[in-house]
Amino acid sequence: MHIPDGFLSNRIAIGFDALSGTGLFLSARRLKLEASARLVPMMGVLAAFVFAAQMLNFPVLGGTSGHLVGGALLAILLGPVPAALTMATVIIAQALFLQDGGLIALGANIFNIGGITAFSGYAVFRLLWRSACSEKRLAFAAFSAGWISMMLSAAACSIELALSGAIPLRIGLPAMVGYHALIGIAEGGLTAGVLAFLARVRPDLIEAPRNAKLSGLEWAGALIFVAIPFLILALAGGSALPDPLEKLIESGSAMTAGASGVQALISTLRFSEYFWEFLVLVALIFFVFLGGRFLHGRKAHQ
Amino acid sequence: MKHSFIDRYSALDSPLHLLDARTKLVGFTVLIAAVLWIPPGKPFAFFAYFFLTAILMGISQIPLTYIAARTLVILPFVLLAGLALPWKTGAGFALFSTLLLRSSLCLLILILLTNTTRFVELLRGLRRMGCPAILVMNLGFLYRYLFVLTEEVMRMRQARDCRRVGRARAAAEMKLLGSMLGTLLLRSFERAERMYQAMLSRGSCGEFPILAPRRFTWRDPAFLAGLGFFIWVAGYLN
Repeated sequence: MHIPDGFLSNRIAIGFDALSGTGLFLSARRLKLEASARLVPMMGVLAAFVFAAQMLNFPVLGGTSGHLVGGALLAILLGPVPAALTMATVIIAQALFLQDGGLIALGANIFNIGGITAFSGYAVFRLLWRSACSEKRLAFAAFSAGWISMMLSAAACSIELALSGAIPLRIGLPAMVGYHALIGIAEGGLTAGVLAFLARVRPDLIEAPRNAKLSGLEWAGALIFVAIPFLILALAGGSALPDPLEKLIESGSAMTAGASGVQALISTLRFSEYFWEFLVLVALIFFVFLGGRFLHGRKAHQ
Repeated sequence: MKHSFIDRYSALDSPLHLLDARTKLVGFTVLIAAVLWIPPGKPFAFFAYFFLTAILMGISQIPLTYIAARTLVILPFVLLAGLALPWKTGAGFALFSTLLLRSSLCLLILILLTNTTRFVELLRGLRRMGCPAILVMNLGFLYRYLFVLTEEVMRMRQARDCRRVGRARAAAEMKLLGSMLGTLLLRSFERAERMYQAMLSRGSCGEFPILAPRRFTWRDPAFLAGLGFFIWVAGYLN
């Protein structure tokens, strides 16, 4: 889900710009130091591959369709760091070509769609996959990697929106994660399909230990890297940093739930109070599916 | 095959198109930031910025229908926000209108930036402004091979549609699409290998030299100064 400009509060957007910028800079330097000139055209062409692969739609329940996002697939094939860099390229290009996602919100989008999918997809796949395992197990591991990475990415997106005070977590989290649990079926299915095909044709691509294999220490570092900004942003939610949207929220007294920081995180636990909004949400998702089926049916007849 | 779906209007020759890429990158980024930092409860400032954006759009000669279609990207977020806000009090409406105005204005400015600058020039500008070489190279390769791979996908899709009627069941469809994407992936891998060999045999130093420098003319500082003056006036009036 590409966040446009204006929905994240400035503090959050700039924070994630700094985070993703540092990450990009460090990974670019790391790759350069490893003298992998071979990797440069590879990453560029694979970024074009991700762009082109998004033209192939995969039908999900009820006639809507999803397409490959590709973070998990690239991470399994290239290793997480080059995969994150490639996905960052794709996201920047999507913002510049298609206006998918804003300019100031670019850091948050790279973090969600590039960083989180690549690292979590890689982690899940490595946990479930064993060398020379059966095709079913490979497909299962790949499906889980794709599916879980999409949901984690959606969860991060909704947390950022809630910390910004734009969309409270009690609405954003179930909507985003629920929708991506469905769309993620396509992501998981396509990841599994591609890897099953590669296992038959070029098993060496999956078996070969990839460059940029991370050690336990680096995994811990990555986890902290993910956790710390959220913690800081959550704790700083009520601080005195100037932020226009926050001022508006403070002046409008009724805006309590999901307004800022820790409050937003706590208020999710009380779903029962928001029964009607939740119902409307479910109905909305249902109508989106109906609409998708309708459009899909029309396209098939033409 | 027809696929001129991206940066279609970036090769026009309006005054905005003639500016240096760096000028537009800096100017429009500052403009977006200025919009994001408008204090709440000041609808006048939004309208001032909308006015400026409308003028710039008129100058840029991008068709309005195209801009309108592109603006729909923010719709799901607006819907979600609209669902979540407290409508019973006045704060809900104020917050919603601020969100809507702010995000659509930022989107319009982004459309202006990307549709008045050719992508290759944008990349040159980014590189000159100190963006890491590896990232600029990646973006350049992406742009260069996007159309090749897109055509490959179109051919594969045509071949598939010629050989069957309707869709298969989900599992079979997944396997089929997986094989198609896998084939595309292998071809991309092989293409990248060939590119690497070609780069090596031509003595590549790991980066493409920039051969066609765009001169920084009097228009560029004038444009930036105009923008700065506008932002200052808008801030002062508030």
